[in-house]
Amino acid sequence: MASVTIEQVRKQYGAVPVIHGVSMDIEDGEFVTLVGPSGCGKSTLLRMLAGLEDISGGEIRIGGRLVNDVAPKERDIAMVFQSYALYPHMTVAENMGFALKLKGEDKAAIGKRVKEAADILALGPLLDRLPKQLSGGQRQRVAMGRAIVRHPQVFLFDEPLSNLDAKLRVTMRAEIKDLHQRLKTTTVYVTHDQIEAMTMADRIVVMRGGAVEQIGKPLELYDRPANTFVATFIGSPAMNLFEGSIVDGQFVTDGGARLPLPAGYSGDAVRTFGVRPEHLAPSENGVRATVVVVEPTGSETHVVVKIGSADTSLVLRDRIDLEPGQQIAVAPDLSKLHLFSASGTRVN
Amino acid sequence: MSELAIPTLEAQVKSERSAIGSLRMVQTASILVIALVIVSPLFMLLIASLKDDRFQILADMGSFRAFWVSNPTLSNFAEIGNLSGELAFGRYLVNSLIILASTVGAGLIVNSMAGFVLAWGSLRGRALILSLVIALYVIPQESIIMPLVIMVSRAGMTDTFAVQIVPWIASPLYIFLFYQFFAQLPKELFEAAQIDGASVFRIYRSIFLPLSLPALATVSILMGIESWNQYLWPILVTQTDYARPIAVAIATFFGQDSIYWDRAMAASVLMMIPILALYLAFQRWFVSSFVGSAVKG
Repeated sequence: MASVTIEQVRKQYGAVPVIHGVSMDIEDGEFVTLVGPSGCGKSTLLRMLAGLEDISGGEIRIGGRLVNDVAPKERDIAMVFQSYALYPHMTVAENMGFALKLKGEDKAAIGKRVKEAADILALGPLLDRLPKQLSGGQRQRVAMGRAIVRHPQVFLFDEPLSNLDAKLRVTMRAEIKDLHQRLKTTTVYVTHDQIEAMTMADRIVVMRGGAVEQIGKPLELYDRPANTFVATFIGSPAMNLFEGSIVDGQFVTDGGARLPLPAGYSGDAVRTFGVRPEHLAPSENGVRATVVVVEPTGSETHVVVKIGSADTSLVLRDRIDLEPGQQIAVAPDLSKLHLFSASGTRVN
Repeated sequence: MSELAIPTLEAQVKSERSAIGSLRMVQTASILVIALVIVSPLFMLLIASLKDDRFQILADMGSFRAFWVSNPTLSNFAEIGNLSGELAFGRYLVNSLIILASTVGAGLIVNSMAGFVLAWGSLRGRALILSLVIALYVIPQESIIMPLVIMVSRAGMTDTFAVQIVPWIASPLYIFLFYQFFAQLPKELFEAAQIDGASVFRIYRSIFLPLSLPALATVSILMGIESWNQYLWPILVTQTDYARPIAVAIATFFGQDSIYWDRAMAASVLMMIPILALYLAFQRWFVSSFVGSAVKG
């Protein structure tokens, strides 16, 4: 186990910069997810951490040791790939023991370590099978087994659940989290799925365009997003954002709706008004809205309404009878508002 | 109405079935004719090798008797199957086998390594080298053969096994074949092995080579046939029986005033057996390398 320090790390392909001076500290035993849309540089950063990509500038330290020019095999890391990258001609046991074999460990020791890892991941009965004889979830577990058998300082996961179906993804998510809680190995996990990031991580790093947008605990990011990008990226359904300006202590959206504001805001301070779908509720004294779509999910009801000209999401815990086309009034919870400046940064 | 319609429908189905049946018959007949055309010379060769009268073989050639032998004998094989002396076809066969095994064995290692480095190595100028390798492929062997003869004779290599093996080990075609095969394997396999602690050579030996059985089989067969059928080169670089291959030795029958068809046929059968065995042994992989080349590894 080790801490990881990334300091002003840059990456460019020829003249094209793809990572612009990213810095972060990952503590010993911490589970950090890098999350962001496709092309944001999260996988590139992970690959630089693994030593699979050169670093154009900055420093990466694993356990205090500078590893910029250290080969992947010398970094004492293990990586789980999106495609699992199991060796097709080797059995599960051979796949898991390959790294130990390369280290020159004797057969008995390899067998013991492979068995330990197989017990943790319930792979015992599959040890003699080839990867092609396994299901997607089993292959995923073998890929993890291959990583944990080495007792590395850091685990790196590159979108490991993307190839699994939705149900299996939820199961594997829990398994990976459970594994981390048992092994306490520092883990860096890349995903484009914000639910995965929220449910698994101790801390989340949100990236966009090769830069870090915000680093924080999952609920910190949810409750206090630093900018409009993080606000819309984290949370599903996404946060409702209204463009507009402050007029007479109220926020008037570009579509003409008047939304209430807490006291103390004036002028050009607020240009974007954000409210999460669960913090909008029907209220007699609220803003007029027209129901567009009603989606009952059982535990809650997702409703899309039009406020002014903007489609707005509501998540209602109570079962209220609503019909498309119906006129209602909704009001935001004033203590849960997210207000952003013209540049998109948080102001409240 | 429907009762009336049923026989009509049945008749229609019947006539369609008979049309399909006759099409199948035509197809089968065509395949049989093509197979006969291909197989009959080989069959004739085999039959002739079992006849001990060379004049009879010649007389039979224009008739169906060419495909029939009443008193089969292996005497031709006994006559030519010596390891030394005038008709040392046993020796020529062994020579050819040594040349084939060495060329294919060394060729598989050298060409696969070159293909692997071009596909996955960190060598600078890989793309340029690959273009050169491909460009080399268009140069016909015959055009470089005379300078090559001068080179090997100056090096004192003539009339050896080495001179028939070394020049044909590295081949642009097989390097390219391996390159293509290795390049289509997923990058993650290489990276996973790197992280597991494998050196580039170890990745080649333990991961990529075992996965390239179809390519190895294809190259083995193609290289084997090429080596087995070498004729011009061994004629130029061998003078004695010491390393003479069977293809060159068979040709000596046809330079004589009187052709010993019985011995020539037996020698041809001898020459065919090993390469046929090689093909049959690797056929499954050979075919799958063409079928499976589009399937992701």
